[in-house]
Amino acid sequence: MADAAKPKKKGGILGVFKDIVYGMSSHEMTRHAVRTRASMEHLFILITMGDLLGVPILPPYYSLRLLPYVTPQIAGWKRRMLRERDVTDVLG
Amino acid sequence: MNTLLAVIIGALTVYLAYTLYARRIDRHVIQSDPKRKTPAVLYMDGVDFMPTNRNILFGYHFKSIAAAGPIIGAIVAANLWGWFPAIVWLILGVSFLGWASDYSGIVISIRNEGNSLSAIAHRLVSPRTRTILFVFIFFYLLLVAGAFVGIMATVLESQPKTQLGVIVLTAMGLLLGQMLYRWRTGLVRATVLTVGLTLVAILGGGLTEDVFKAFSTGLNNLTGAPLVTYFDPTLANFKGAEAKIMPSLLFWALSISAFCYAGSVLPIWRMAQPVIYVGFWITALAMVLGLAGALVAPFAKPEVAQFVIPAFKGFNPQLGPAGIMPLWPMLFVTIACGAISGWHALFGAVGTARQIENEADMLPIGGGSMFAEFLLGLLALLAVSVGAKGAPVGAFATGLGGFISVWGIPLQYATSLAFAAFIVIVLVVTQLLFRVQRVTLSEWLGDVVPPCRNQHVASLICVALAILLMLTGTWVYLWQLFGGANQMMAALSLLLVTVWLASAGKNWMYAGLPAAFMWVTTCASILVTAYNLYTNVYQINMAAGRMIPVVGSGLMILVALLLVVAALYIGLDTWRAFQRYRHRPVQQPRPAAARA
Repeated sequence: MADAAKPKKKGGILGVFKDIVYGMSSHEMTRHAVRTRASMEHLFILITMGDLLGVPILPPYYSLRLLPYVTPQIAGWKRRMLRERDVTDVLG
Repeated sequence: MNTLLAVIIGALTVYLAYTLYARRIDRHVIQSDPKRKTPAVLYMDGVDFMPTNRNILFGYHFKSIAAAGPIIGAIVAANLWGWFPAIVWLILGVSFLGWASDYSGIVISIRNEGNSLSAIAHRLVSPRTRTILFVFIFFYLLLVAGAFVGIMATVLESQPKTQLGVIVLTAMGLLLGQMLYRWRTGLVRATVLTVGLTLVAILGGGLTEDVFKAFSTGLNNLTGAPLVTYFDPTLANFKGAEAKIMPSLLFWALSISAFCYAGSVLPIWRMAQPVIYVGFWITALAMVLGLAGALVAPFAKPEVAQFVIPAFKGFNPQLGPAGIMPLWPMLFVTIACGAISGWHALFGAVGTARQIENEADMLPIGGGSMFAEFLLGLLALLAVSVGAKGAPVGAFATGLGGFISVWGIPLQYATSLAFAAFIVIVLVVTQLLFRVQRVTLSEWLGDVVPPCRNQHVASLICVALAILLMLTGTWVYLWQLFGGANQMMAALSLLLVTVWLASAGKNWMYAGLPAAFMWVTTCASILVTAYNLYTNVYQINMAAGRMIPVVGSGLMILVALLLVVAALYIGLDTWRAFQRYRHRPVQQPRPAAARA
């Protein structure tokens, strides 16, 4: 099952060339899009934080609707929040 | 010497250094283990830590480290000392120092849970080292920003046929951002439109040359006299002469600054990233056609393949009436990025290392990208070596245009493309520099000077400082000071790697010896540049009562002395840490899962 879920490797020189060109031209943009999405997810987590902790802060109807979408993000969010950062992180 | 022979020598260098030296270090010293989990796998958060395909990461890392450095450095060095010392340093530098610095920056981050170099320095060496590193980074960015703004303004002002291309590039960048992120246009369609139009504007720049010339003349007639007069030691065949900053030059410097300011404060998707994306295709086209052209030129068009500049111009060529330019240490900082660069290690630790899926990828990505960058530096050196005599950037563009013309493109258009590639590659880097510099300034001074936290204030301070440095007119010294700071950063990253290797009980020689060489060389080069600034710029302009160059060069001398003091402190701290780790029993590594 786990093997079936793995993406198939692209073969041949053309595949390598495509990957390198993608890495040079667009990977940075993809990373930025992912970062933007992550910051939006942080916002949702903030909105639902009360319900996550069992302390209703907002009218619970809306935040409870959001909870199922937020819960899978908690592990990644925790890692991002707890990681030490400094100025040089801007470079990456 | 012809270009084919130089390319063959370059390719052989890459092959031998990679297979005989780099792989050996990777296997026997670092002992990269494909089964060991990397931070990208262990701490995957879907954003910063994300396992990524090796080929994609190679392209990403190469593009992130390959900027204007290898091009400008090779141009300046070939003009000062000749092509032979330049090519020798490129080959020796990349083989023994450059790949080691890039690769080690990634390795040390991966083996230290994906931390940045400054965080590792904080833990392994001392908290003070980290603070000094931030100061170092800020001035390093300031110097390169000043040098780049000066170079670009000079090229744009003196080459009116390139101006349309730059204006259209900016417009197309904004359009691309709008198309991709607001109108949701497909990437291929948006790319074809924006890159195509930019290319047309670059090639057709000659059509608007007269219009821009008339515009410059009109601007210069507004004052009728130069805004700033300064003594430029690079003029009159390096004997030095009076130079004038006319309103048209200031106009282009301010335009570039406005461009960089916008790139710094606008959302990154709006301008900075799309401009980089469009610029990438332009420069990639020029470089690929140029490198392939250099290979076949000896057969297809021999007249563009012969070196025309002297192989060696002397150990201490004269630059200005009183300055010194000894081959050691100055060559080793003038050519930075094609041989070794601190920027690469800094970026590799925070950008690339956190995406590497497998330790077996560390060398192909870190070392491989550096060898590819060496080839870019070699191409620049070849271009300037075969180019016509004259202004260094002009010689580079003529040389590269000659290589491109091998493919049947008329020389006039090929040279326009080469000029545009040069400007684009510098321009896109400069806007990013201002962005990073603004953040660094906010972090560094934000608590002490609260207005610095405001992005507009911080950006304006950075722009103003860069313009002040540019007005000194001494971009060669600015470049060498930047080279010194950049190479010092490489030395510091290698020193850090040496300490880490010693702490892990590994053989530290492959990093320690290059670190010591680069540390001594860069300290010496920064002091020589400070001396040159004092004798060739500060004193001469002071005697003539020109205050702007005096203030600018005085600022540069201060920065130089500050960099040396910072390097001495870091060297001292690192030496103490090194001695501490050498004389204590090796600690067993903690299990990686303990932190998670």
